[in-house]
Amino acid sequence: MKEEVILAKELTKIYRRGSEEIHALKDVSFVIGKGEFAAIVGPSGSGKTTLLNLLGCLDTPTRGSLRLNGIEVNGLKEKDLVKLRRENIGFVFQQFFLLPTLTVRENIELPLLFSKKDGYKSKIDEIIEVVGLKARAEHLPGQLSGGEMQRVAIGRALINEPKIILADEPTGNLDSATALRVFELFQNLNSQGLTLIIVTHNLALAKIAHKIIQLRDGEIVRKASSHGLSKKARS
Amino acid sequence: MNFVTLAIKNLLRRRGRTSLTIFGVAIAVAVLFSLLSFNAGYEKQLSGELDSLGIHILAVPKGCPYEAASLIMHGGVIPKYLSNSDVEEAKKIDGIEVASPMLLHQFYKDGEPHIVYGVIMNDVSRLKTWWKVEGRFFSDTEDNVMVIGKNLAEEEKLKVGDVLPFGPDKIPFTIVGILERTGTQDDEFHFLPLQVAQRIFDKPDQITTIAIRVNDISRISEISKQLEDIPDIQVVTMTQVMGTIMNLVGSARTLLISVIIVAIIISAVGIINTLLMSVNERTREFGMMKAVGASGFDIGRLVLIETLFVTVIGGVIGLLLSILGSGLIEGFVKGIIPYSPAGRLMVLEPGLIGLCLLFSIIIGVVCGIYPAIRSSRLTPMEAIRSNLE
Repeated sequence: MKEEVILAKELTKIYRRGSEEIHALKDVSFVIGKGEFAAIVGPSGSGKTTLLNLLGCLDTPTRGSLRLNGIEVNGLKEKDLVKLRRENIGFVFQQFFLLPTLTVRENIELPLLFSKKDGYKSKIDEIIEVVGLKARAEHLPGQLSGGEMQRVAIGRALINEPKIILADEPTGNLDSATALRVFELFQNLNSQGLTLIIVTHNLALAKIAHKIIQLRDGEIVRKASSHGLSKKARS
Repeated sequence: MNFVTLAIKNLLRRRGRTSLTIFGVAIAVAVLFSLLSFNAGYEKQLSGELDSLGIHILAVPKGCPYEAASLIMHGGVIPKYLSNSDVEEAKKIDGIEVASPMLLHQFYKDGEPHIVYGVIMNDVSRLKTWWKVEGRFFSDTEDNVMVIGKNLAEEEKLKVGDVLPFGPDKIPFTIVGILERTGTQDDEFHFLPLQVAQRIFDKPDQITTIAIRVNDISRISEISKQLEDIPDIQVVTMTQVMGTIMNLVGSARTLLISVIIVAIIISAVGIINTLLMSVNERTREFGMMKAVGASGFDIGRLVLIETLFVTVIGGVIGLLLSILGSGLIEGFVKGIIPYSPAGRLMVLEPGLIGLCLLFSIIIGVVCGIYPAIRSSRLTPMEAIRSNLE
């Protein structure tokens, strides 16, 4: 067993809308090892994004526990959550969320502003190279294609040297050819030892992952290796 | 990249809105600075103007003494007169250094009012010791000569030695002297020997006022009482004139301050509204920032820096507008206050400039603090999901 990076135990998330309770996640448990590439799949409303947000410490579970890199997340103060996010997690969003007035380089640099890390100029150049945007480094997001924008977002997620990359539908807004190139980039990063967890609707792309977690109605219905979605996680 | 460059780039994303907000702040600061500098300058200038009269007491015909004093200072005509005998009576009072009779007359040329002072130059030169003249002063026994103010000479393109048809009968008068600029109303006037003025304007033995200077200013009150014992005479001390004018101006100033407070409140509400709109529009962006490592403090700081940028730039522009447009503003304010001294009323004191810049920073902090706190308290999830629901 690889060194565990994520240990989720009975994670439950309930949203309340007035008197109505929405069970977005129900007793979700799994382990992700260091350097693993996991895909979370399932239909819309199955709780994929909710799970990813819990893993990214963007939200807190109603019940259950989560350990990230050996740190128990439950009960951490906001200040400690910020530190945990900065040091451990890189986020990639479906909508990219690039700042339109910042260049590719500046968008990638943005997290350094918050982590107050200096002397990262060569690191920025290196990441621009990794995501294949050297020629576009001084361009604004409005001058880029969707695939290029997502690569900027991936570069931004990498700049703080996180241990885990969480990506929410990273290819959801891309055509299949571009999506494939983005997945190849993820594969590449994973092959260098980075832990990747990706939420996707695209089963074909999910098969590239080592581990697939399939959700339906907030529950894990299957956990499987990339060889197939055959093993029942819960019975 | 640092927070300041990020804030500037964020502001540049919405240039129109940012410009309008800056403009709103600029207007508020311009109005504030104009009022404060006008307020500081007015009292100074008024005091200077009263001093420049070189007199402590004005003896005027019985009636409304303050109106008379105001008209005399500005060069107006009052329809009542004192006589030469009143001057002789006044001169008998102990403690009076100079008692100088003056006759004021007003006439119109090309629709513009012109003011003529009939004076005894020997007395006036003792009252206004700072007067300097190009050419010479006239002696009180000379006929058909005049001294004129500098502005009048420039406006009418007159020079020493020019001969001017003057008075109802267009008698030729020689300009023997032009006053060096005094910065007061004197720059606008014609000065004639008193007896000549009385003759050509058909006011024999009549005078408009007696300008009095005392030996000891602590005796002004006592001397005033003695002057009022002379039939027909009413006295106005310069302290009273100053106090009365400041009271009159006070009400106009209160009105202006009220307008300013309203302008500032409107501006502040506008800024807060703009910032809240901007914060709401960028909720998901803030969520992203939190997801990539920003703390609530980082987000709040960014919003506050943006606000401060807007308000400080607005403040600087407001100050520049106010300084560049001080002439127009002064003209407007002069038009609505009951009395305004000659010369520049708006003073550009560094302390006031600093105060107004400080004000714009305070406005920035006050207006920015709520949007900053609100944006900093958003949880990343709330922020990211905000537009998705």
